[in-house]
Amino acid sequence: MIRLEEVTKRYYSLVAVDHVSFTIPRGEVVGILGPNGAGKTTLLKLIAGFLNPDEGTIRPQGGAWPAIGYKPERLLFPNQLRVRAYLQMVARLSDLPAAQIDDAVAHSLAQVKLTAAAAKRIGNCSKGMRQRLSLAQSLLGRPPLVLLDEPSNGLDPEGQADICRLIEQLRAAGQTVLMSSHQLPEVTRVCTHLIILNQGRIHFRSSMEQALALRPYVTIHSDRDLSPLTTVLGALHPQVEVDGNAVTLVDDAIGMRRHVLSVLVGTGYDVVRVEQKRATLEEIYAEAVQWHEES
Amino acid sequence: MARRILTLSGYLFRSLLLSVAGIIYFLLGLAFWRIFFDPGQGTPEMAYYILVIGVFGAGITFLVTLSVAGRAHGAANYPLLARLPSRVEHLTATLISALFFSLLVQGLLALLALFRGPVFDLGRMAEIPPLWLSVNILAAVLALHASDLVAASWSRIAVFGSLAVLLFGQEVTPSNIEWLTMRISRIGSWFMSTGWVGIGDLINSLGRWLQTGGAETIGALLGLVFWPFHVISDAVIAGYFRPAQALAPAVILLYATLLFMLAADLFATKDLYLVEH
Repeated sequence: MIRLEEVTKRYYSLVAVDHVSFTIPRGEVVGILGPNGAGKTTLLKLIAGFLNPDEGTIRPQGGAWPAIGYKPERLLFPNQLRVRAYLQMVARLSDLPAAQIDDAVAHSLAQVKLTAAAAKRIGNCSKGMRQRLSLAQSLLGRPPLVLLDEPSNGLDPEGQADICRLIEQLRAAGQTVLMSSHQLPEVTRVCTHLIILNQGRIHFRSSMEQALALRPYVTIHSDRDLSPLTTVLGALHPQVEVDGNAVTLVDDAIGMRRHVLSVLVGTGYDVVRVEQKRATLEEIYAEAVQWHEES
Repeated sequence: MARRILTLSGYLFRSLLLSVAGIIYFLLGLAFWRIFFDPGQGTPEMAYYILVIGVFGAGITFLVTLSVAGRAHGAANYPLLARLPSRVEHLTATLISALFFSLLVQGLLALLALFRGPVFDLGRMAEIPPLWLSVNILAAVLALHASDLVAASWSRIAVFGSLAVLLFGQEVTPSNIEWLTMRISRIGSWFMSTGWVGIGDLINSLGRWLQTGGAETIGALLGLVFWPFHVISDAVIAGYFRPAQALAPAVILLYATLLFMLAADLFATKDLYLVEH
């Protein structure tokens, strides 16, 4: 839907976004992860058209620019307006026919469970309500591209679960979503694609399916400390790691598990448990961010 | 597009109307009326009425536009701007709401000033809208250039610096640029003394030209820019517009259009860092 090509954005000497290239596929939910100051908000503002790239291009693929619904990170509103009046204004700006505005606003309020607060002044709304209102305005009129900057920030667990359900519904309805978040479980649940940014650069980019299929590992737990076998086991494969009572076999080393088991049994160790797992998003994230810090 | 612009205009207009700043502008109008159209004093001249309220209109439009542009520059507008196919719609809405608000204040003053004020015939009444509107629109567009909403890098310096040069330039005479001609002569002499006779001679010719009527020519040329304003005040005082003079509001609108095109270009291409109030 949108293609970013070598996009760079600088704030004086600080490079906020550094030669970033990726495509936002139509109908997918792309999650951007990264520590504070990684460039997530700048990237969203570049795509929304608020900022111009210093280098590179941002172009729609196969047609004109899609209509965009944007939910900023900061929850700032015209506080004197009432919730419904604000959404009606957004609906008019979205070119909805006059006859459909009330229905669209009611639907949007129901989507974010804010119907009861429709007549309330925005200035009197709680932080959670403002977060829901911010989300409601971004979804109003079903824009083909929805940009969400930290959509569940400041919400209670129930609210966060609601947001996840809502984004899943958007995906099912074929809307394209690009969201930044610090909530790894949320991203794991709703996103189909993942980008990890750090200091303006992409450090990891993959479909969520591929990301979670990465780095499978097997951990064999023994009854005693395996340190004396470190050299023997390490010689079998470089990705065999001994840590206390456990030995972990990563990626290709998994194929060596029969050899590892026979070494353990042959040297008098008892095998108490064998676990087969894949890397979690937390591990992938930590690795991507740590890799940057080390480099 | 029209509906989006009207929606945004209404929103910005309401936000100023319901604010302290909005009330202050109306109070300012009342204070201006009390000072310049005191009901206790004699009936003001028609020319006085048209010119004084016209000047007030330009001033209040400048201030109101700055206020509306400040509101339009708030971070609460990010989601609204994201919905617009063109940023210029937001700028147009800012201009329209500011003009409408200042016309309201100016209209209030104009109505109050009619109390024991001049009696108009229809012909003179018809003069007023193009005069006030054209000047107000120009003031609003200049205020946009002065605001953070539109200003980008050195644009303020370029616009208002040029205006200052034009204002100063129209007053150029040989006596008030004597220092300049002296320096030009010295530079010419220096070039002559260092052997650059051709350039030195050229510079000396320029100095002589400035002393012998060139300055008046420059002043007259730069003063041309302000022709519509001189013409309007002359015609209002005289009580009638000759055909050429009647074009003055249109020329002012032309200035406003050119400046608005520049503002639109600046606003459409700048990085938007809206302010978190």
